[in-house]
Amino acid sequence: MNLERLPNEEKLTLCRKYYFGNVYNVCVWGFAFLPFLWLVNVVWFFKEAFVKPTYTEQLQIKTYVKCSGLGFLLWVAVLTTWITIFQHFRAEWGEVGDYLSFTIPLGIP
Amino acid sequence: MLINRDVSKFVYILFIYLLLCNSVAQKIYVELNNTVPCVRLLNATHQIGCQSSISGDTGVIHVLESEADLEWPLSKGPNPPYMVLLESSLFTKSIMMKMKNASSRVAGVVVVPKTSPPEFSPHTTCPNENTGVYTETYDHNLAHCNTTVWNPRGNGLSYEEFDFPVFSLKEDNETEVIKQCYFDHNRVVNGSGLQYPLCAMQLFSHMHAVTDTATCMRRSSMDFSTSPVMVCDPLGGYNVCAFIRPYNSTAFGHKENESVVIAAARLDSKAFFLEDSTGAEGSVSGFVTLLAAAQALCEATQEAPRTRNILFAFFHGEVFDYIGSSRMVYDMKNNMFVIDLDNVHSILEIGQVKTCISINVWTYKCMDIRSNNNESVTNLVKNLQSSTAGLNFSFVETDFSQPLPPSSFQRFLRARAIPGIVLADHQTDFNNRYYESFYDNAAHLNLTYPSNLSPEEQLEFVTDTAKSLTEVATAVARTLFKQAGGNNSQVNKINADPKTVTQMLYGFLVRSNNSWFQVLGSSLRCVFCLSEPNPPQYYVGVAKSSHQANALTYLVQYLLANLTGTATNLTQSQCKKPDELPNESTYLYSYLWVQGMVPPNSTQRESFCVRTAVRLVKAVSPAFDLGDYVSKEYSTWTKSQWKFIKARIFLVASRDLEMLTLGVGVAVLFTSLLVTYFVSTKADVLFSSVREPNNAAY
Repeated sequence: MNLERLPNEEKLTLCRKYYFGNVYNVCVWGFAFLPFLWLVNVVWFFKEAFVKPTYTEQLQIKTYVKCSGLGFLLWVAVLTTWITIFQHFRAEWGEVGDYLSFTIPLGIP
Repeated sequence: MLINRDVSKFVYILFIYLLLCNSVAQKIYVELNNTVPCVRLLNATHQIGCQSSISGDTGVIHVLESEADLEWPLSKGPNPPYMVLLESSLFTKSIMMKMKNASSRVAGVVVVPKTSPPEFSPHTTCPNENTGVYTETYDHNLAHCNTTVWNPRGNGLSYEEFDFPVFSLKEDNETEVIKQCYFDHNRVVNGSGLQYPLCAMQLFSHMHAVTDTATCMRRSSMDFSTSPVMVCDPLGGYNVCAFIRPYNSTAFGHKENESVVIAAARLDSKAFFLEDSTGAEGSVSGFVTLLAAAQALCEATQEAPRTRNILFAFFHGEVFDYIGSSRMVYDMKNNMFVIDLDNVHSILEIGQVKTCISINVWTYKCMDIRSNNNESVTNLVKNLQSSTAGLNFSFVETDFSQPLPPSSFQRFLRARAIPGIVLADHQTDFNNRYYESFYDNAAHLNLTYPSNLSPEEQLEFVTDTAKSLTEVATAVARTLFKQAGGNNSQVNKINADPKTVTQMLYGFLVRSNNSWFQVLGSSLRCVFCLSEPNPPQYYVGVAKSSHQANALTYLVQYLLANLTGTATNLTQSQCKKPDELPNESTYLYSYLWVQGMVPPNSTQRESFCVRTAVRLVKAVSPAFDLGDYVSKEYSTWTKSQWKFIKARIFLVASRDLEMLTLGVGVAVLFTSLLVTYFVSTKADVLFSSVREPNNAAY
């Protein structure tokens, strides 16, 4: 989808959809996929928000892009911390570690 | 049209060529087929055995010549990791421990069994110390072998954990190929460095289970995905049981006014490499004696019923913390067996019996060891002593302060103080120099045959070992007859048959695929279609969910059935459903279709149906039924599963050459990307001048 050809209002709607996570009018993505949608928001609309010359909707787009960026960084920090702790301590947690795992590696504790 | 036909012909020829020529993999790797791996076993607290990494462990082959030569793979050698090839004389605990401690430089160990060392026992010094009757609470002085160390030569190698694979190769062509490869490429010349390429070996034996039984059973039962991965299996098998006078097999629990004497022996044994276990003195001598005694007794008791019944019980899985006997005691206590502990009058167990002193005209001394319940035991011993009249040996009681050796009888004592004795050929510690090891084979039991005999003649030849075991069997049969209240005048007519004993010893220890076993065996269960002539595997194996036992269990079942049962005239279809006939009952008996002999003038076997009281009783540790995987009471041994196990050798290049090849490849990739990029940006310049002449021609 080429952003060049869209009118500004539709750009804003799109950015808002990706920010709130109800793309295609369906709010099924849920909280878990929001980080990916926010990343898409940041990468796709970065030029629109900060590089292009000013137009009416640009301020709102800028807000959405900034909030998406912050949210994304927060998620990355939380997930990285949890993944590091889990991978390090899963073997020591024994039963709890096994119940939290989806696939358990074979042959190693 | 012509162009099309040529192209199709070319494609066709290329296809044939690719099919016929060898693949590159076959030119690189030499697969080793006759390998026996060391696998991982787990119990409630530990994991033992060997583990390889998931993509195999590769190491440069080094043939170890002496213990001092170990410096080369462990410290001096310039091309770690090494795959150490040992001969059996060097397969000792000290060498294995040194390699275990330096496991970053050792990729694996390969053992080539050759001559037997003077003594070697990889088992622990105190077998089954935690599951016998001598626990800390019973008597502190007798627990943990404080009084007598039963297996002083034991080095505990089977119970160590190694994080590299250990394989065993048979001494044959493959070992020659490996040694040739080693001498061609890996020999150190004048102490100087080795030239690449070097001969290397790769071993795959990745085990799925870790830590202990509770962990692996928990992981096996979690099924998030559609196909749950089984990680480990409990060890177990079947006990073979036969009553002289059978009971209704569906009526469990206490039987009023019934008193049973149990004659027990152990079926299984193990070795460091589980599938190579032989157990000649450890288990075969015991159960062959009991089989012969069963045959002798059944011939004598055809006429009159005895006052007491006799149960011949062959327990499986005894090496792994008494799996079979603990299961039987558990079943008896919980009314899941045809009799219960109140019905048991006494127990006679045959342990390790080998010829104590070699031939000639001396008296043999076989010891027996006493337990509690003085009067009944005194009676039993009296019966035993009097049964050796006319035989060339005698029974000697051991000192009262001696505890019982490791035996199934201890599990019965743990539940209740039943009188009984254990017969064995050792007075204090084991005489067996190769207890639970690969060297406890026919040669160790002095089964020597004159060299000019064919296999059939060897089967019939009565060795001295067979003669002495026959005498023990006769004595045991007479004792059991008297214990069961038999008439004293009939006793001396009971004699075990030396021909049966020697045929059994031959079949179990030298060659299973012999004519006698084939006659007595089953055509349905193809365990007797043994393609290799080797003896069956004595390791208890994994408890299968289908009603399949291993070859040893079937052999003992069919032998006992033929020795103690009666042949009938039933046809094969009647043999499968005998209940329709008026005189037959599957509650009391089991009916087995036996292959039979080939008569001299025909090629078809004369099969027949045997009616017998022999039954297979499941022998899986009660811990798995109870779900108590950390049990201190019952055996919790499991064996890990794996995907595949293989070994192969190939020539390996130096690391520098590998890196160079990789670097050149990456450079070629980037160069080609660069060239493509430039060509595509300058495409109109490069190709436009070529296009115009074409236009001009048209």
